[in-house]
Amino acid sequence: MTTPDEPTARSFSSGRSTLVYVAAAVVVLLVGAAAGMLITLATTGSAPETPGADSIDVGFAQDMRVHHLQAITMAGMARDRSEDTEVRQLAFDIESTQLDQSGQLSGWLTAWGQPTLSPPDQPHMRWMAGAHTHSDAAGVDLMPGMATSEELMKLRALKGTEFTVYFLQLMLRHHVGGLEMATYAADHARVGYVRNLAQKIASGQKAEVDLLTTMLKARGAQPLPG
Amino acid sequence: MASGTQKKGPQGGKGGKKSAVSAARASVVTKKGPPWALIAGITAIVLLAGGVFSYAYFQVSAAQKFIASDDNKDPSEAINGVVKVAYASGQHVQATQRVAYDQSPPFGGPHDGVWADCTGIVYPAPVRNENMVHTLEHGTVWIAYNPDKVQGAELDKLKSKVEGTAYMVMSPYPGLDRPISLQSWGHQLKLDSAEDERIDQFIKSLRANNYQNPEPGGRCDSNQTGFDPANPPPFVAEKPGADAVGMDGKNPGASTAPSASAPASTPAPASTPAAPTTSAAAPSQ
Repeated sequence: MTTPDEPTARSFSSGRSTLVYVAAAVVVLLVGAAAGMLITLATTGSAPETPGADSIDVGFAQDMRVHHLQAITMAGMARDRSEDTEVRQLAFDIESTQLDQSGQLSGWLTAWGQPTLSPPDQPHMRWMAGAHTHSDAAGVDLMPGMATSEELMKLRALKGTEFTVYFLQLMLRHHVGGLEMATYAADHARVGYVRNLAQKIASGQKAEVDLLTTMLKARGAQPLPG
Repeated sequence: MASGTQKKGPQGGKGGKKSAVSAARASVVTKKGPPWALIAGITAIVLLAGGVFSYAYFQVSAAQKFIASDDNKDPSEAINGVVKVAYASGQHVQATQRVAYDQSPPFGGPHDGVWADCTGIVYPAPVRNENMVHTLEHGTVWIAYNPDKVQGAELDKLKSKVEGTAYMVMSPYPGLDRPISLQSWGHQLKLDSAEDERIDQFIKSLRANNYQNPEPGGRCDSNQTGFDPANPPPFVAEKPGADAVGMDGKNPGASTAPSASAPASTPAPASTPAAPTTSAAAPSQ
């Protein structure tokens, strides 16, 4: 490869050799970039946004799903049994929206290869700093705002206005708890679409907290103490 | 790796470079003319790369342009003429109440607790605004049209985009200032022709867009709500009175005694859009 007339060549065409260098560099860059772009194109849509088991995203999705499922249960009862038209309508709205969102959460968990419900060795709310969990009579840890089994049994047994008011009280407390969880996830989750849904849940439940409070007042009742 | 390159630099690397350079120079020297083969080769590669770039660009942009994603939360920003207003969600009024909306047709703000059925229904008669706004909150696109201006084939063309399509509704809107108006929560686009390509772009961008609609997953069918799609609450053409609920959800008169002498100020439709800062629909979030 080495040739003896190197000095001559240098003096002859230093400008031209610079051109060759630049051209070669440009070619290498272009080919590399083009190849990269084709690869990107081929894999578009499979962005590797897969949060792990200990992430806020997975913890939130699992816990908010369970939280939603209880709201769906309570709202379903009110939708069927309340004699108050406005409450029945709101219950149906809450039930169907949260059922769809619960499906979004379980869909993500499935795609991430995670259990759609918290595994038994993973306590609720492990993903959220400063969470206000509470326990039921049997010492089971409950997420913020969740009704205990006793409270749900009481709701099932009540009738008429008493049923409607107790439903509003339980749902209000449930929403306040859900709001706390969703706000934290909206601020701290890593995946953009998780933060988005969390933020929508937070703002939606905030509006419904006001609505439920107004509805309780209009029926001469107060929120549950504490 | 970095250290390896550095060490190699002064010796082997430099030597290799030199030989390659001299080879290139030698070929240049012997030919004594422009290196046509090299130029042609480079040109071909540049063109090829350019082709790949353009192909990739158009593939990606065409496929993604009007699809909402985490990187493109509001694709309607690429559509000419879309008006955006941020509204607070979740404020309900009673079936007997009216809202003094700031836009016509309205596309956000307080609304009836019951949503208009949005399971792809073409309503033959105008529907009450307060129910239509709630259906927008669930992610629906509402096509409103001026019945005096849109008829025949144009009307059929619009119907074909709605009939049986989930999260779509259509209704006549008497007195509409343009032939067609598309509404999504916080978004409106007024148009003159059913042939306008922006109709499909608007629907693609905003229907069930979980980044723009306040209640992702909100329901469309009205089975349990008391809303009858065959006989919906009718549109009211008269301007709402002083007892109407304002855009901030506050009600000047109706919740107390609905006296005719409620504080004079009719909720001015022109007043700055209510609570824009509190909305959850801000695309920047």
